[in-house]
Amino acid sequence: MGAMFRSEEMALCQLFIQPEAAYTSVSELGEAGTVQFRDLNPDVNAFQRKFVNEVRRCDEMERKLRYIEAEVHKDKVHVPAVKDMPRAPNPREIIDLEAHLEKTENEILELSHNAVNLKQNYLELTELKHVLEKTEAFFNAQEEIGMDSLTKSLISDETGQQAATRGRLGFVAGVVQRERVPAFERMLWRISRGNVFLRRAELDKPLEDPNTGNEIYKTVFVAFFQGEQLKSRIKKVCTGFHASLYPCPPSNTERQDMVKGVRTRLEDLNMVLNQTRDHRQRVLVSVAKELGSWSIMVRKMKAIYHTLNLFNMDVTQKCLIGECWVPTADLPNVQKALADGSNACGSSIPSFLNCIETDEEPPTFNRTNRFTRGFQNLIDSYGVASYRECNPALYTIITFPFLFAVMFGDLGHGAIMAMFGAWMVAKEVSLAAKKTNNEIWNIFFAGRYIILLMGCFSMYTGLVYNDIFSKSMNIFGSSWLVPYDNETMETNAALTLDPKDAYIDKPYFIGIDPVWQTADNKIIFLNSYKMKLSIIFGVVHMIFGVCMSVVNYNFFKRRYSIVLEFLPQIVFLCLLFLYMVFMMFYKWVAYSTLSEDQAYSQGCAPSVLILFINMMLFSSNEPEAGCKEFMFEGQGSVQRVFVLVALCCIPVMLLGKPLYLLMASKKKKEAKPEQANGSVNQGIEMQQTDIENGQNGEAKPAKAGGHDHEDEPFSEIMIHQAIHTIEYVLSTISHTASYLRLWALSLAHAELSEVLWNMVLTFGLKDHGYVGAVKLYVAFMFWALFTLAILVMMEGLSAFLHTLRLHWVEFMSKFYSGLGYIFQPFCFKTILENDDKEE
Amino acid sequence: MKGSIFNIDAGYLEGLCRGFKCGILKQSDYLNLVQCETLEDLKLHLQGTDYGTFLANEPSPLAVSTIDDKLREKLVIEFQHIRNHSVEPMSTFLDFITYSYMIDNIILLITGTLHQRPISELIPKCHPLGSFEQMEAIHVAATPAELYNAVLVDTPLAPFFVDCISEQDLDEMNIEIIRNTLYKAYLEAFYDFCKNSIGGTTADVMCEILAFEADRRAIIITINSFGTELSKDDRAKLYPRCGKLNPDGLAALARADDYEQVKAVAEYYAEYSALFEGAGSNVGDKTLEDKFFEHEVSLNVMAFLQQFHFGVFYSYLKLKEQECRNIVWISECVAQKHRAKIDNYIPIF
Repeated sequence: MGAMFRSEEMALCQLFIQPEAAYTSVSELGEAGTVQFRDLNPDVNAFQRKFVNEVRRCDEMERKLRYIEAEVHKDKVHVPAVKDMPRAPNPREIIDLEAHLEKTENEILELSHNAVNLKQNYLELTELKHVLEKTEAFFNAQEEIGMDSLTKSLISDETGQQAATRGRLGFVAGVVQRERVPAFERMLWRISRGNVFLRRAELDKPLEDPNTGNEIYKTVFVAFFQGEQLKSRIKKVCTGFHASLYPCPPSNTERQDMVKGVRTRLEDLNMVLNQTRDHRQRVLVSVAKELGSWSIMVRKMKAIYHTLNLFNMDVTQKCLIGECWVPTADLPNVQKALADGSNACGSSIPSFLNCIETDEEPPTFNRTNRFTRGFQNLIDSYGVASYRECNPALYTIITFPFLFAVMFGDLGHGAIMAMFGAWMVAKEVSLAAKKTNNEIWNIFFAGRYIILLMGCFSMYTGLVYNDIFSKSMNIFGSSWLVPYDNETMETNAALTLDPKDAYIDKPYFIGIDPVWQTADNKIIFLNSYKMKLSIIFGVVHMIFGVCMSVVNYNFFKRRYSIVLEFLPQIVFLCLLFLYMVFMMFYKWVAYSTLSEDQAYSQGCAPSVLILFINMMLFSSNEPEAGCKEFMFEGQGSVQRVFVLVALCCIPVMLLGKPLYLLMASKKKKEAKPEQANGSVNQGIEMQQTDIENGQNGEAKPAKAGGHDHEDEPFSEIMIHQAIHTIEYVLSTISHTASYLRLWALSLAHAELSEVLWNMVLTFGLKDHGYVGAVKLYVAFMFWALFTLAILVMMEGLSAFLHTLRLHWVEFMSKFYSGLGYIFQPFCFKTILENDDKEE
Repeated sequence: MKGSIFNIDAGYLEGLCRGFKCGILKQSDYLNLVQCETLEDLKLHLQGTDYGTFLANEPSPLAVSTIDDKLREKLVIEFQHIRNHSVEPMSTFLDFITYSYMIDNIILLITGTLHQRPISELIPKCHPLGSFEQMEAIHVAATPAELYNAVLVDTPLAPFFVDCISEQDLDEMNIEIIRNTLYKAYLEAFYDFCKNSIGGTTADVMCEILAFEADRRAIIITINSFGTELSKDDRAKLYPRCGKLNPDGLAALARADDYEQVKAVAEYYAEYSALFEGAGSNVGDKTLEDKFFEHEVSLNVMAFLQQFHFGVFYSYLKLKEQECRNIVWISECVAQKHRAKIDNYIPIF
């Protein structure tokens, strides 16, 4: 686990690669996924970089792939998952791939084009068929009227003439989209001043739009009118409304002939359509097999060229220069990848890897496995550790579930949580394979090991609290007896157990004695116990945090800080708060009801809180008769000394470091003139550094140097230190109080689960017989539901957040700066995963 | 009071619009764009901006018209999204914005049919925001009265068109008159709507912009009318009467006989005189039109300085249109390798 304590050592390396080997080398590095490239041409436009044409080719290929994929999805052809990841294609294969894609795209394009044409034909024919069929009814009706008028004409000549003019009525028939009918009709009416007679009938079945494949509803219409001029205007309106007009012979027999003809043509066309569909299906199925690997290959290629765009060209155009961060442990891997890369393309000149010195802050890289990743994420979401800073994630693995469990202590709820976690861990592989976009699930799954540990720890604390779904278990036999006889017990509703008679002087084997479950003063007892417990854990946790800062000071060679910062801090914390913890333990040990000494007996125990407040204020309370104010002899003077020493620590914290730095910088200034005079040796050294600077001169952006205290003016250091000091002194109090949330949440959780038991489940337990069974069935359902939803989920979430806060604020603020930036290696795997997520 | 309940109906949309506004290209983007060698470069650079992959599915080689279409399509989608989520009175406000495109479309179609172009060729050139159901059947009309009775009577433009019915037939000159009369009626109606129906901050912002628009039209009409057979009385009828030039400036414009006189009229108005000052027809000078565009852009940018009003939607659309014009201008210059004038775009931020 040593690796986890600090982030890995990184080296800034320069790569010298032959242009012909560059592609294969970067491809190998992408497979290895251990280097983070730096952009060497930050001020060059995206389209002015060297490999922009290749990137464009990839874009083009991606476009083709997207098109093919869309077509494949349109026909609902299944795309098989890619089993083994194909490697990035080598340049020769790229051309093949390109040609292949081109061919496939054209083939599919042609097929779709043909299909659209055929469908267009089909659509027209179906529309014609419908027009003929529907108009049949209109004409029949018209003929009937015609017959009437003909018979009438026998009676009157006038009507006969009318019939003759009516007979010259022209008409157009066609199909128009249903939603445009009202406007269409109105327009026809308007342009003809009401002289057009429109009959329409809706088509029941939707037709298919040949281009998009959407369903469209249409209406058949026949417009009767008089005169040629009107005809042309009606036709204009029809084209305006995208109505398709069809020839429709006026006589009945012709129409029927035509319908027959259309039907046979439709059948033929249908056959052709089916054949094309089959052909298309075959083509798409064969393409679908390759689709996955093609798209991976293209994406890899694109990533490689993007990376190559970060490289610099050598002045002589003979080699590409890249800069990258590499974990030192992975240097051999990188070397090997480079060698493989040059071998693959048969380059005679090997690529060079050259580590260079830099004073730039390297990225932070913590190698994690699937167990530690969750915990590392918790820390990283607060702030990525500064380079090589000690990593709190290591301790978080235990402290996090533990502090959570202090709040969530319930054996039953813990077991549910642990089982859920264990299920996710056991099914890890199959669950991970199912990629979902459900964010909540992904969060749970990413934290599966945290959930498992939190569950297990909660089971343990539940055992200590003797709490299982708000009930206690009497496993080892209670240490309390009932000293009363039956009669007394029956007559009295409540009785007090005096420890002198009822306690057997041998504590319950583990945790809280189950007898408290029945006691009236259970809450008072538990409150006092959990409150003290949370302060004890809090103080220990904070002291541990302060001690961690030593490790950092030591590592970053700021030893003066150990004396000037760590020492006063730890003394301040211990003398005040660790002393309070000591008083708690002393009170537990020294005071007893069984004690012979009056001063250490029941009723005389002083309140630790009052004692502590008096200690800080240098005041005192009059003790009750027969009791002592203090717990032990000389406590008053010891306390006074403690407070005074603690107060003395504050000025040390405030002034120590700034004064030291001031003195150090003065000393340096005095020393500088000497250096400038310089012996020969120093001159040479300086020259060397100059050369080094020259080498990576371009590589160093202005930010190099970062925050060095030495550069800051004294006033600024002073202000920083003052803020730090005030924050620390105040925070010792506020943070200690903050740990009381352990007690508060634990209390809330216990009370809530008790309420749920008493209010819901007890309701089902009161009755006997069948009624009782039904009631219990219902009551249990609600109880189980609330237990899961409120107690496990909601309370779990709240306890989780409080634990997170305790770590981020109370613990990590003592030593963690978190100013680093994360190492993002160039890795095909993550690139592909991110792409998948985006989709 | 209006401001405090504004967000109930329009808060989301205003936020959305302001978000869209942040995607408008900056000066630095333009500096990069003008360096492009080919349209492919342009596409690559636009990929890095808010436009994202809007050209990704276009096969190369790219044409300027494709870029134009895609730019417009994106804007239309955004605007329609906003329109679809809006409620009264904002929806009416947004509809008002689209009426100007309708006018443009009608005029385009009439002119097209006058020149015997097939309607199917004209339709793709119409602005999608201004399309309406009866649009494509517009060529049935041969006279303005017919146009009104058959086509426009059902559209929201009908009230604007009433003044034009008297025109006898559709020739080039009359179409131009119809366009300007329509625009005048439209601008005045829009101005009135903003001022009296909506009021508040919207009125403050929009009246400023619309007044400028009205004045610009009046000035441009005057300048364009020199040397045509349009009489001064007819010309005066075309001036929208909601601008700052109304009434004195318009009366003076109506009397103007040449460019210098127009300039003299503008002298009396601080903001317009500044525009005429900088404009010239020499090489390197900006044209008056560009000056007007610049002023419009600055007015529209100013609309974003206030909150809780509908002006941002109008301004966003106008700014985005200007951006589309800019990109298309740069693309044209790049495509035709005519780099001398590539810097004549109008930066927004």
